[in-house]
Amino acid sequence: MMRQCFLVVVISPVVLLSPILIAQPAQHEKSTKAQDKTAVFDRHDLTGKWNRVSPFQTYSNVPGGANELQAYLLGQASAPQKLDVETAEAPFTPEGKAKFDKNIPSYGRRITAPMLGNDPQAMCDPWGVPRMLNGQVAGPHATIEIFQLPDRMFTFSQWHHDYRMVWTDGRQLPKLDEVEPRWNGYSVGKWEGDTFVVNSVGFDDRTWLDHNGYPHTDQMRLEERYRRLDAETLELVMTITDPQYYSKPFRSDTKIWKLDREGAKAWDEQIYCVPSEEFKFNKLIRDGGVGKQP
Amino acid sequence: MVLLLPEDSGMRKHLMKFWIVGVIGSAAAFAHHGTSVTYQTDKTITLTGTVTEFSFSYPHPQLYFDVKDADGNIQHWGSEFAPTPLMMKQMNVGWARDTIKTGDTITITCNPHRVPGSTACLAKELVVNGKKLTVGPGRPPATGKE
Repeated sequence: MMRQCFLVVVISPVVLLSPILIAQPAQHEKSTKAQDKTAVFDRHDLTGKWNRVSPFQTYSNVPGGANELQAYLLGQASAPQKLDVETAEAPFTPEGKAKFDKNIPSYGRRITAPMLGNDPQAMCDPWGVPRMLNGQVAGPHATIEIFQLPDRMFTFSQWHHDYRMVWTDGRQLPKLDEVEPRWNGYSVGKWEGDTFVVNSVGFDDRTWLDHNGYPHTDQMRLEERYRRLDAETLELVMTITDPQYYSKPFRSDTKIWKLDREGAKAWDEQIYCVPSEEFKFNKLIRDGGVGKQP
Repeated sequence: MVLLLPEDSGMRKHLMKFWIVGVIGSAAAFAHHGTSVTYQTDKTITLTGTVTEFSFSYPHPQLYFDVKDADGNIQHWGSEFAPTPLMMKQMNVGWARDTIKTGDTITITCNPHRVPGSTACLAKELVVNGKKLTVGPGRPPATGKE
């Protein structure tokens, strides 16, 4: 209830202020959408509801990962998968691989029935960042929405009805030992040309990088690089640095979203993970135990 | 299935929108919690019973019902629907959360659970009191402008 109340207090003013913020005088180049000459947009404005169009539910485009599941679900299981060679393999350390093997997901190549797995999601634990950014399924059912204030940027996640905050007031990123770990980390963002760069530290190590069970430690550093390619398209590339589990920086594949103006007007699903719903569903349906209850 | 329609026809755009939302919606629903490994999606069973509870809730709507076997023994079953409640609403499935009531007679065709002896399944077709109800992607989604 506290979180719901807080969301109402925080998000509502953001929504109300969005048109005002969008209308702020821009100090940078205005661009015009090629297909629609009237669609002027600001490359430094990421505000909007964004529907993921690149492969979803995975941090990186790894072989046998969620892309195969996605292809299977779309009836394209036998189709060859286009893999980003540079990021095709997670550069695990032995300790990182051991941790990965202990994480038993309900998605991807290692897909396991939920009752046999240990995905934190089954307990309604927060996804955390970056899973919040890559775990969305497909719009408009579940996706992200970005709001900008002069001193902060918010990314709202339809799944879990959660949000993460990025400080944009010019503050420095604290040192690792200065930050108490938290679900979504501590994030600071700034513009480098037309790229919005977010650096984060202080992550709770109970979260996974994605639905496939990629682990991280509380020493993980995350860099996100956003670019608004045109009026309709948002790009994100992430890199994590976590020497204990990954022998070198681990870059994500390129995430692409499309602006969904109609969906923003029509779709407000409020997908909380509600324990009383989730646990009943898992116990009586997914675990096959309906007839087995006392 | 291939539909040959003029490229710029309104019908084609309409159907493509339906297809995209239907397929993506199905993928989204199926992607939750490993549905594809929970159920034997290549098999179906058909059951007739009496509704004991309908929960139009998240993460997926659930229908609970009693099935009487040949010996008169009652077995309690549960079935989930693939789309979420709002997805079903947006797909204009033609029925609502209060359509299915306790005591209704149902016939359901569903994918059985992989766990031997389990009494849960994934709904594919549903008939309630003689009327067929859509439990998957149906007509084109609402645009919010209706």
